[in-house]
Amino acid sequence: MEREEFKIIPINILLVEDNPGDARLAEEALLESKIKNKLYLAVDGEEAMQFLRQEGEFTNVPFPDLILLDLNLPKKDGREVLAEIKSDERLKRIPVVIFTTSKSEEDVLKTYNLHANCFITKPLDLHQFLKVVRSIEDFWLTIVRLPKE
Amino acid sequence: MDQDLRVVKASRSFYDFFKVNSDETIGTLIYDLGNKQWDIPKLRELLETILPEKTTFDNYVVEHDFSTIGKRIMLLNARQIERAFGKEKIILLAIEDITASKNAEEKLKKTFIELKRSNEELEQFAYIASHDLQEPLRMVASYTQLLERRYKDKLDKDAIDFIGFAVDGANRMQRLINDLLDFSRITLRGKELESVSLTEALGAAIFSLQNTIHESNAIILNDELPMVKGDLSQLMRVFQNLIDNAIKFKGDKTPIINIRVKEEGEKVVISVEDNGIGIESKYKERVFVIFQRLNNRTEYKGTGIGLAICKRTIERHGGKIWFESEFGKGTTFYFTLNK
Repeated sequence: MEREEFKIIPINILLVEDNPGDARLAEEALLESKIKNKLYLAVDGEEAMQFLRQEGEFTNVPFPDLILLDLNLPKKDGREVLAEIKSDERLKRIPVVIFTTSKSEEDVLKTYNLHANCFITKPLDLHQFLKVVRSIEDFWLTIVRLPKE
Repeated sequence: MDQDLRVVKASRSFYDFFKVNSDETIGTLIYDLGNKQWDIPKLRELLETILPEKTTFDNYVVEHDFSTIGKRIMLLNARQIERAFGKEKIILLAIEDITASKNAEEKLKKTFIELKRSNEELEQFAYIASHDLQEPLRMVASYTQLLERRYKDKLDKDAIDFIGFAVDGANRMQRLINDLLDFSRITLRGKELESVSLTEALGAAIFSLQNTIHESNAIILNDELPMVKGDLSQLMRVFQNLIDNAIKFKGDKTPIINIRVKEEGEKVVISVEDNGIGIESKYKERVFVIFQRLNNRTEYKGTGIGLAICKRTIERHGGKIWFESEFGKGTTFYFTLNK
């Protein structure tokens, strides 16, 4: 564990988000983070799947260590993206955090049924928002023990 | 009618309704009656094809424009009636005017479809309110806050104040949207009414308000409450809103809240009485309207949704809600529910 603390390889996070305002907020939150990270952005569901399968312009991108996934996305919906990730042998172990404005019980139930790793409703308040993003990062990237590649 | 479809006898109401007399009716071929207004293809088919074959026909609906009485919808029934040996069979034809009830039925059907559509629209609205409206709002609030956070040192006191107002406005709007959503969910997402314990509803309401009750030293007294037909979580919300209001509008006294019950046949009347500031009688109707607030915002917090939710809930339960109040002395809210 201790040796890993000294790793300089940054943690790769894929953010799937169509709203630039939200993407920037997440970026700002992660900038203030103490964990060295690199944030990649996919602006719709199709782009997210291309990124994860390293297709097209994404042939040289790394596998993300964590995926932050919005639900209501253009082209391919977040729920479809989630279903594809969780049924793909190579991708299904990457933790997927649903990060959405939705509070709907239906969305919560549906995404957990699709094996989402957790569901978070974006807080309205900036300070809460920043705190939540940092908690996500902290929990999934330092507290949780995940299988090695 | 005889077997040749000539009228043998007609009832009084037949003459009255079709505005004809017996002279022109008796012995006349049915199709020739009153300017041949009964010469309807459908009736010909019924009398000449179906009746001889089956000796009876039931509940045939015929829509026709009659020359004496206008467009009508008639329900036709007929029987072949056997008579004593040697006598010819006769045909009994019963004509019932169902225009009014048919029209009412049509109207009801239309209203129902209309209602279903508007309900679906509301459902759609609820989703839009919960998601699409919140997102831009979150942007406004977050980025004004980010401005403050990032540039605090460069901003003067006015600028910080302005940001405060902007954030406060966005927060308040989010509360309004959430309240509106709650309000629309009363009917959209309400559970089926079943037999539930009002004691349980009141208990849950008091539990959820325990901090408020504790801080205000409020005393809550209640009768033993009956079982009613209801949606438990919605009735809990009614008690919660009424008690919360009773404490919020307490004035400078320690709040004493009395919850009583009176049974009236199949109904129960619940009353929630407080010793608070009271409501002036001129506001009798307004208090139940959504987002109506009678007091200023700094003194009394809230969006003004509480009583609107109570009213909608009680009406969904088939009951009524009203209040009596003496300004400065207290208010009693009453609502009825079914056992």
